[in-house]
Amino acid sequence: MKRRDALKLGAAAAAVPLLPQGLAFAAEAAPVAGKFLSAPEMALLDALTEMIIPADEHSGGARAARVAAYIDGRLAEYDPTIPDLRAEREQWKAGLAAVDAASRTAGGKTFLESTPEQQLAVLTAMAAGEKDAKTDAQKFFRPLKDWTARGYYTSSIGIHDEMEYKGNVMQDEYAGIDVATLPKVEPQ
Amino acid sequence: MTLLRAEAPRPKEVDLTRRYDAIVVGSGAAGGMAAHVLTSRGLDVLLLEAGKKLDIEAELRSMEWPYDHPRRGEMPYTSHAINQNEYQIRKPPYAKGTAWKSVYSYVQEWSGSDYSKNILVDEKDHPYTGTPYAWVRARALGGKTNIWGRLALRLSDYDFKAKSHDGYGDDWPISYADLAPYYDKVDLYLGIGGHAEGLDYMPDGRFQRSTRLNASEVRLRQSLARRGRMLTPYRAGVTTDGLKHNKYRSKCYGRGACGRRAGGCDIHAAFDSPTGLIYPAMDTGHLTLRTGSICREVTVDPVTGKADGVAFVDMATGRSLEAKAKVVVLAASTLESTRLLLLSKSSRYPNGIGNSSGHVGHNFCEHVMGPSVGGIYKDLIGKPRTLDDGRPGAFYIPRFSNLKDKDPNFIRAYGFEGGSGTGMFPHTTSAPGFGKNYKQSIRAIEGATIGMGGFGEVLARYENAVSIDPEVVDKHGVPVLRFSFKFGDNEKKMCADMAAQAKQMFEDAGIEVLQSDGEILTEGWSIHELGTARMGNDPKTSVLNQFQQSHDVKNLFVVDGSSHVSASCQNPTWTIMALAWRSCEHLADELGKGHL
Repeated sequence: MKRRDALKLGAAAAAVPLLPQGLAFAAEAAPVAGKFLSAPEMALLDALTEMIIPADEHSGGARAARVAAYIDGRLAEYDPTIPDLRAEREQWKAGLAAVDAASRTAGGKTFLESTPEQQLAVLTAMAAGEKDAKTDAQKFFRPLKDWTARGYYTSSIGIHDEMEYKGNVMQDEYAGIDVATLPKVEPQ
Repeated sequence: MTLLRAEAPRPKEVDLTRRYDAIVVGSGAAGGMAAHVLTSRGLDVLLLEAGKKLDIEAELRSMEWPYDHPRRGEMPYTSHAINQNEYQIRKPPYAKGTAWKSVYSYVQEWSGSDYSKNILVDEKDHPYTGTPYAWVRARALGGKTNIWGRLALRLSDYDFKAKSHDGYGDDWPISYADLAPYYDKVDLYLGIGGHAEGLDYMPDGRFQRSTRLNASEVRLRQSLARRGRMLTPYRAGVTTDGLKHNKYRSKCYGRGACGRRAGGCDIHAAFDSPTGLIYPAMDTGHLTLRTGSICREVTVDPVTGKADGVAFVDMATGRSLEAKAKVVVLAASTLESTRLLLLSKSSRYPNGIGNSSGHVGHNFCEHVMGPSVGGIYKDLIGKPRTLDDGRPGAFYIPRFSNLKDKDPNFIRAYGFEGGSGTGMFPHTTSAPGFGKNYKQSIRAIEGATIGMGGFGEVLARYENAVSIDPEVVDKHGVPVLRFSFKFGDNEKKMCADMAAQAKQMFEDAGIEVLQSDGEILTEGWSIHELGTARMGNDPKTSVLNQFQQSHDVKNLFVVDGSSHVSASCQNPTWTIMALAWRSCEHLADELGKGHL
């Protein structure tokens, strides 16, 4: 019990200062390179993940949960001598480049240089191909979204703040309704 | 609350110069039960396990939060789990020519695979050949019981006397009345949670405290009852009230780690063979355990023709060693025991030991999976969430086909395992789009989702078989199995009905169907291989008698799922243990009388 409470408090405490700090990151702080992705790629990935799962009045978003760093850390561990892993790494680099290319085609600027309205239009166009991806940017949407969701909902913010998951604790009785107390239903 | 954990007993010294009363090969549900029953009768038993004894609590770490793990619970990225597509488009050996450092069966695809990677075998070391088959194997003390799904069901005379019911296949040489007392023993010794329903087609056990149902499950249960069908709380092989006679296991505290990864209960409330059976057997002083012992042959006394021990490879040194005993009990899992029988060739037993019938490796049956339904119970959207994943399982819908009525399209039946409610991870894949609405919709539907998948009986057919591949050997030089196994017409028709009925049952209960799938998963997916050394009264058409004793070699027993005559559609583990208990009592009686 104690361990979990401490973690929950820690997560809540961390989320508060992280939010404004995170929002300022793209605009002011010099972009920092990841373990695998370059600094501009990390900045772009961070912005995209936050757009997919944004901070709202209920909880922090993907930026606060450091989802971009999680994805980058994962890609950094990929052994490039294994063809599937090398291909997946390249897919992420190519996908991020495709987002910028789509942004330039639409408004003449990279994604991060574009206005919030233009950024939303680019991501909306990508998401339009969620079920039937045609463009390179559209093909990148599904892995981007899946890994953003995975990174976010396995994070402390995702589990405790957003989903308010109460499990991993001892319970005296199982949740739910005791079947013995239900009214008997006769076959019709 | 502090959880006290009893240390594993100190192992006895292995003495390969002596003749043990019995050698048991394999330490899963069957081997553990054999060790328990035989040592409780005072026999000196040598238990051989091919895999290692793992520090299982350190492996499972089931209280660990995903964000405290460097890869959020995923196995190292140099490893790969075979996916459904690969199983379908390729043929085994699936790891052949791979660049991956390790390749595992599909089970390792599940979230939390880092916790099971040392339990499952690496396909690179343990290949097999033939037709596509998702063969999930665990090589470690306890075998697959370390990660099993825990559904603990009894079979009935609809299964044991299936041929009498519909004319297909063969009846078992026992009836429910023969096995019921042993199901009772298993229930009481190991613990099982469940709710008594009084069904003749899925008999009740000696249940401990049942889990409960959440609102959408109650809705489905009551709706099904109107059609004369049943939804019952998951009958889990989990001690929900605790076991006073076992210091190695805790009762279930409903912590909510059960659904998170490939099974595994590191407080051992869920049954696993080491803490449930093997450690207590070691405490009798009669059990000697040797891990890292890869059996490759049952050895035979050339004078008597009886089994006199086993030959095995020592994993650590690669040396070939032998152990001797009065009785040999195979419990290495259905297909591994079959492999051993077929590998044990001699001038006396040219087709493999115990195989005068030619049925060893044949009549291979299991459960077919794939058809499933997922939906949402809208009344629960936005409602306070309950801690549903604190339960060892959610619900089970037993068979309803071919009981009183005859289905025109298929024989036998299927049941459904289901889950619903809140878990640690929300359902993220069905919500479209992105942004604030996406995030909010995931939060809103959490706890309101419900889903279930079918398990159908695959008919035992002689032509579905495994044999020894004449060319390929595993890492230890032991020839591997070659599969020749395909689902048939009955399975395909049954699955079509399974998919349609699943959807209909949800719709009837007012559950909105979000996803409905009729695709059949690769052979092997259920991890319920059965039947390849079946019991029977006729030595010409069966391998074992009703006590899982070889018709040909009276001091050779095969006490795992290979002995099952038909697959039923109900999960086999509890039946495996009840049969092993019954057979090992018979073994001890017979050995005491000097009959073996």
